[in-house]
Amino acid sequence: MLPCRLRLRLLKRSLSLQIPRPSLPLVITTRLTAVKNLSSLFAPSPQRSFAKGSRLPPLLGHAQRRRERRFFCARTMEMDDATSSNASLFSSYLSVRIRCMKRDVDTLSEALLCFGASSASVDELSNCEELDEIWITSIFPDGQDVDACVSAATGSIGLNYKPNYEISVGEQCDWVTNVQEVFHPTEVTDGLWIVPRWRNPPDLQATNIILDPGMAFGTGEHPTTKLCLLLLHRLIKGGEHFLDYGTGSGILGIAAVKMGVTLSVGIDIDPQAVASARQNIALNDIDSNRMLVYLVPSKASLPYFNSRTQENPEEKTLYDLELGAAKENFDIVIANILLNPLMELAEDIVTYGKPDAIIGLSGVLSEQVQQIKEIYSLYLDNISVFEMEGWACLYGTKRKM
Amino acid sequence: MTTLKDVVARRPIAATIRLTVPAGGARPAPPVGPALGQYRLNLMAFCKDFNARTQKYKPDTPMAVTITAYKDNTFEFTVKSPSVTWFLKKAAGIESGSSRPGHVVVSSIMLRHVYEIAKVKQSDPFCQHMSIEAICKSIIGTANSMGIQVVKDL
Repeated sequence: MLPCRLRLRLLKRSLSLQIPRPSLPLVITTRLTAVKNLSSLFAPSPQRSFAKGSRLPPLLGHAQRRRERRFFCARTMEMDDATSSNASLFSSYLSVRIRCMKRDVDTLSEALLCFGASSASVDELSNCEELDEIWITSIFPDGQDVDACVSAATGSIGLNYKPNYEISVGEQCDWVTNVQEVFHPTEVTDGLWIVPRWRNPPDLQATNIILDPGMAFGTGEHPTTKLCLLLLHRLIKGGEHFLDYGTGSGILGIAAVKMGVTLSVGIDIDPQAVASARQNIALNDIDSNRMLVYLVPSKASLPYFNSRTQENPEEKTLYDLELGAAKENFDIVIANILLNPLMELAEDIVTYGKPDAIIGLSGVLSEQVQQIKEIYSLYLDNISVFEMEGWACLYGTKRKM
Repeated sequence: MTTLKDVVARRPIAATIRLTVPAGGARPAPPVGPALGQYRLNLMAFCKDFNARTQKYKPDTPMAVTITAYKDNTFEFTVKSPSVTWFLKKAAGIESGSSRPGHVVVSSIMLRHVYEIAKVKQSDPFCQHMSIEAICKSIIGTANSMGIQVVKDL
């Protein structure tokens, strides 16, 4: 497995960034996530700066690419300087269709996974009862030695025949469009709709949030997003400052602006989320003064962030000034992430709120509520819990220290 | 025996997908993306659900997931704990098992490690009916087949 891991690490891809300009038609960008460095969960992805209007040639091989790391700058104004083109970078994978006997399907799939396949899928063909053979579609990372893997897998389960297989290279766009077709407009509450960018809003009078989630979290369909939106709907009276901690596609921040807050700030550690959020802000015609999005370093990538800003000290002071000043400044803070980050970052999340601010937490299962309550009762009073479909959302008021 | 009523009530299955995903690290990118995108499943919902359910594991442990995709684009999935071989490799501090198991001993682990592994495995859906003793015995068997020796005290 080790050579495969090294190859994955070498195959870091850059983000493609498309800033929609009013004159150009919007194109669905196919995004790439940087293949995560397996040892650190939150490595910032490298980025290329493109010359204006030039098309980036498709990536041919990791050896040919120079890795230019350009850190994702904070302010939205600087994004206009970072020119982008229509280039989309494809991350390819190998899709292998293997034919084998029905009785060996389960064991062969498991064996394939042990020897280097990323996944193995079997179509359920109930109308092919007569046939003895069945297809397994297996996905391998690009560059993997498929033959070795298949032989090892068949050898380990003692198969006495060599299954036939055919390899094809899959491109990212193949499955991205499939996934995008799944999104439909959803009505979260009366008069609040979330509409994917490529569909028409069913009710033009209602508050419509137009989204292109890309690869970031937050399509509006998930129970936790709905819970947070309902919470915002109840809390917002107009004129507040709102912080979306872990903004993903920016949906909560945008919704808050549409509901009447004066200032909405979104932060995230994933550069793709930040890009996606900025795109959605533009899609919804929100003034860049009313909503800002920042990329913040996670704990793991902090050394990298610090070394990067040492090369450019103005960046660090800008970041420190802006976000540092933002502490203790928000009336409402919502963090819709996961249990572990919520527990580790409790103090960080809470410091962003004014005394008496409302702090909302979500992204946890109902069974995980107790753990969150224990940690946050140090900082919050009157913690209430709402649940929907097995997911929970808690909120409370920040205690005056 | 499942009755005819049960068969009819069950939704028609489109496919069974097996994946290895690091705990808490499901992202809509390969390998998860193409595998689920093929069947038009809601990627985000799966990633969020999977990440939430694997919060209790150490980040990046490779979890085996089996997803049952139904024809109406809904899905269910079960998460299994990492394989015994993976646990043994970690406990023994080696990258791969012995090339000649039975003859060449690569590393050794303590009985305590076996017990800890058995405790984690017991929460697995298909091990629940087995006693800890039985699970330990099967782990020791796997260790022997990898060339890892089990000693009482190091």
